[in-house]
Amino acid sequence: MTYVELHSHSAYSFLDGASLPEELAARAAELGYDALALTDHDGVYGSLEFAHAAKHFGVRAITGAEVTLAGGSHLTLLCESQQGYANLCRILTDAHAGTRVPGKERDLLPAETTLDVLEAHADGLVALSGCARHGLGTVDPNGTARLARAFAGAFYVELQRPYERGDARRNAQLIDLAELLRVPTVATGDVHAHHLRRARLQDALVAIKSRTSLDGCERERRGNHESVLLPPDEMLERLPRDAALRTREVAERCTFDLTQELGYRYPDFSDRVESADVQLHELCAVRFAERYANANGHKRRARARLDDELQLIGKLGLSGFFLLHWEVLELARECALEVRGPGSPRHALPPGRGRGSSVGSIVCYLTGLSHVDPVAAGLSLGRFINEEMVAVPDIDLDFPRDIREKLIVRVTERYGREHAALVASFATYRSRGAIRDVGKALGLPFAELERLARVTDGWDATRVGEELDGVPGTHSGPRWEAFRTLTKEISGLPRHISQHPGGMVISTRPLIDLVPVQPAAMAGRQICQWDKDSCGDAGFLKIDLLGLGMLSAVEDAIDRIARLRGETIDLSRIPLDDAKVFAEIQAADTVGVFQIESRAQMQSLLQTRPENLEDLTVQVALVRPGPIQGKAVHPYVKHRHAKRADPSFEPPVEHECLREPLRDTLGVVVFQDQVLDVAMAAAKFTIGEAEGLRRAMSRKRSEEAIEAFRPRFVEGCLGNGIDEHTAHAIYDKLVGFAGFGFPKSHAAAFGLLAYQSAWLRRYYPAEFLCALLNAQPMGFYPPSSLVRDAQRREVKVLPPQINRSEAECTIEDGAVRIGLGYVASVGEQDARELAAGRPYVDVSDLARRASAKQGALEAIVAAGACDEWGARRQLLWRLGVTARGETVGSGNRQLALPLEPTAEIPELPAQTPWEEMLADYKHTSISVGVHPLELLRPHLPAAVATSADLPETPNGTLIQIAGMAIARQRPATANGIVFMLLEDEHGQSNLIIPPPVYDRYRAIVRGEPLLLARGKLERHDRNVNLLVSELVSLGPLARKAASEAEVTRALPRAHHFGHR
Amino acid sequence: MVAHPGSARITRTARRLNAPRPALVEAHADGTPRCVNRQGVGVVREEWRVVDRWWTDEPVHRRYFDLVLETGENTVVYHDDDACTWFTQRA
Repeated sequence: MTYVELHSHSAYSFLDGASLPEELAARAAELGYDALALTDHDGVYGSLEFAHAAKHFGVRAITGAEVTLAGGSHLTLLCESQQGYANLCRILTDAHAGTRVPGKERDLLPAETTLDVLEAHADGLVALSGCARHGLGTVDPNGTARLARAFAGAFYVELQRPYERGDARRNAQLIDLAELLRVPTVATGDVHAHHLRRARLQDALVAIKSRTSLDGCERERRGNHESVLLPPDEMLERLPRDAALRTREVAERCTFDLTQELGYRYPDFSDRVESADVQLHELCAVRFAERYANANGHKRRARARLDDELQLIGKLGLSGFFLLHWEVLELARECALEVRGPGSPRHALPPGRGRGSSVGSIVCYLTGLSHVDPVAAGLSLGRFINEEMVAVPDIDLDFPRDIREKLIVRVTERYGREHAALVASFATYRSRGAIRDVGKALGLPFAELERLARVTDGWDATRVGEELDGVPGTHSGPRWEAFRTLTKEISGLPRHISQHPGGMVISTRPLIDLVPVQPAAMAGRQICQWDKDSCGDAGFLKIDLLGLGMLSAVEDAIDRIARLRGETIDLSRIPLDDAKVFAEIQAADTVGVFQIESRAQMQSLLQTRPENLEDLTVQVALVRPGPIQGKAVHPYVKHRHAKRADPSFEPPVEHECLREPLRDTLGVVVFQDQVLDVAMAAAKFTIGEAEGLRRAMSRKRSEEAIEAFRPRFVEGCLGNGIDEHTAHAIYDKLVGFAGFGFPKSHAAAFGLLAYQSAWLRRYYPAEFLCALLNAQPMGFYPPSSLVRDAQRREVKVLPPQINRSEAECTIEDGAVRIGLGYVASVGEQDARELAAGRPYVDVSDLARRASAKQGALEAIVAAGACDEWGARRQLLWRLGVTARGETVGSGNRQLALPLEPTAEIPELPAQTPWEEMLADYKHTSISVGVHPLELLRPHLPAAVATSADLPETPNGTLIQIAGMAIARQRPATANGIVFMLLEDEHGQSNLIIPPPVYDRYRAIVRGEPLLLARGKLERHDRNVNLLVSELVSLGPLARKAASEAEVTRALPRAHHFGHR
Repeated sequence: MVAHPGSARITRTARRLNAPRPALVEAHADGTPRCVNRQGVGVVREEWRVVDRWWTDEPVHRRYFDLVLETGENTVVYHDDDACTWFTQRA
């Protein structure tokens, strides 16, 4: 084999490559290539993924990129050595440095580097003169000559044969140029798809990238389907022979292997006088003395645990790892102080808190990385660190959003912009994006596409074709056929880079030698070009700094309580066994409570009735895909019932050796740690083997990996006196857990926050609601439902009012006042300026002095925030005829003369209650007044029940119920069943929609805010559901009742969870 | 006198510029033309391919050749892969 492809693009060229890196690698192996270069545009986003996939298929991966120069010309760079790779990373970092202009970070500019930068970073790189259309060799011969000198001995003029008209002349000119520069030529294929069948998608991607249709981008497209990976022999025939044969020479130069050690090290404190071990010992000793000064009973156990843990950490060489996290948390403490301000009532709160398995570590507890005492809570360490671990453990830290924002920038500043960056994430094509982008490229009717986008299941673009069959209308012809095929093919391809929710990588060696770094869309932030999987594969230490809305809400609530009531609340000291709080939890009165507010959690709470924090820990972990798929929920509920009836009840287990590991969860597997415990107890797995099994379960497409552990498990069980049948039964139980589940330590951390939020909700409902509204978006319910729920619990909620509202929601005489920021089209800055400009005398005064745009002021009036000055229509008219001030010079405002309009305002009809309510919803997403169902009720048949009737309705009764859809769930674990929550003027009711009913009424389920459901009432113990057989849209009736006002669009859309 | 644009005279004389015309081509095994309209091919100057409009009712799938005939005349021919027919078109 003689030809090697040195120029290929994957989908990580973002809309200029139609195949994933592993598809290229697999196809290369199939065609007989022994090496292949990946040269995506201005990035190595997919290079590590490609390198691992290529290795798997026995193809040698050559790492490279096609860089863009100022002026738009391209140059292909390939890495010969580690030095070359580091230089490539620096070149790409430079190319992206100017892609976000300060102050306009949202607008992404094209990446480009300069000849100077390339000349300065030529070591270890092989340069090819670029592609046929935009290559430097074609576009800029003088620039080519400069680089030929800079890359002396490693510069090749690149020849391509894309079968476009003009190939012969261009290649002749390039050969002349090569002779003139005395450099060799080399041939490449400029591959954009791994297979001919993907070539059409490549055309469509070009159209998408050009933001036009296929018909409109003839110049940009290649005009044929030749840029695909072809067999080496065919390439040898097609290309100039000596240039094609020279690909082998170039490939043999490029020996750099990206999968090998990159030379990454995290800051491990080894540069101090004392060793990292000693530093950590000293830190823990000081903190231990503080934290356990008054501990009774478990101080000795804690000491022993600390000694063991420090010894293990020292043995694993992880002391620097813990010190690094501690240092980040100290930075967070500084940020918290700045954000909260001196003397803030929030000072008693830690800056953040741990989640995940790290909560089981006493070292994490002492260094402030966790807020749960693992000894007191009975949490084990094994899942977090153990003697056999091969990779650094994960520590996830949750912060209130405001602290996290500051911390991310502070970490970058502390370690240097060349040493720290956020982890990337890649937005991939799902149904809706595929429908809109592919449909537009094919020139299909916009309305048809939107109709399909509304009813699609949302996630899986491979099903768009099937979904299209369910949409009325004719969808035939070549365009629609292509649409079916291309939406399937585009599914899962990356579209653009974005930032991971909070993962940061920090490196001792400059990070920009290891992976290119580029500015993010948010000011001050920068991201590396690898996602969390690639960072993991590279062995990078990822610190997760996550923003948790509930932490923000809790801090906000505590702050308000202290300011308004003078009560300082230390959440770490509130009673953890408050009967009133648990009574509400047991009654599933938990709207707005962290983690236990969802419909599924509420249904479960009515059954399990948690009585203490330990129960709550189980509860938080129980309603997760792992325990649900592992069929743990019903046995747990059953065993709880039995235990409640008879405290001496012992839950059955498959084998006596499982009794202890599963004692806390009544014989079922609820926590991830229990997978380890069961494997060790039943099959005598070592902790490393057990962790290997757990990791296999958490991987995507892990069936094979999980099954690989079965023989070893069964063998271990047999050796432990467990018969083969039982061994398989136990393993099946573990396999069932393979979906997502929480470690116990994580559940304990979340359970505590769930309790704390329930406690605040119970005793400070107004402050809690106010804080929740300010922390949106978060949680299960839309703000309108949080308001309705609070109103049912007698919290007074006041509408926005221009002369009383602040930018955010506030407490006013014990009631919650909606903030101006809730008015749609009023930005945060506008809301602050409007609040600062108070008082306003009338709407004309408001119009003259406020700098907000006219549309924002109209929304404020339409939302009722100016009702104190008269009827909304009158005010809107006056607003329209008032002369407004102008912004002049550097943001100064030239006020308009206070001239009164010369014409009288005509008499305008007052708004009906319907219109006012709809305007409230439309402009603020909240209505604090009448509920739509209250207005609609007189128009509904008398037989329609309300949510208040359900508790008294006998099981099996055929009923109909009307309401506003507030949440819709289609869990992956529910076999296509859709769960909906309807809200009426009395409360909420649960709907269960079986798959055939969903298929029949999909448009209503997915799009209608007001609906009538008919079906059979099902009662299981304290749970009441309506098993739906028929659905009717109430849109037409509401429109009629509202005198033709637009109802459907004004009402808020239901929150959607799970598969779409 | 200028004829009315819709008149029969105008309609009769209007035609597409540079419309392809069917050609009699004999080809080698690899598809390159050997003979065009009974004239031998001297040089194949270039070959290019067009695959386009696959999303419409009239997809284009052609293999073009820029030729110098033995008579010294330049010509461009293409093979329509869908219709399996040869055409000439002025370059």
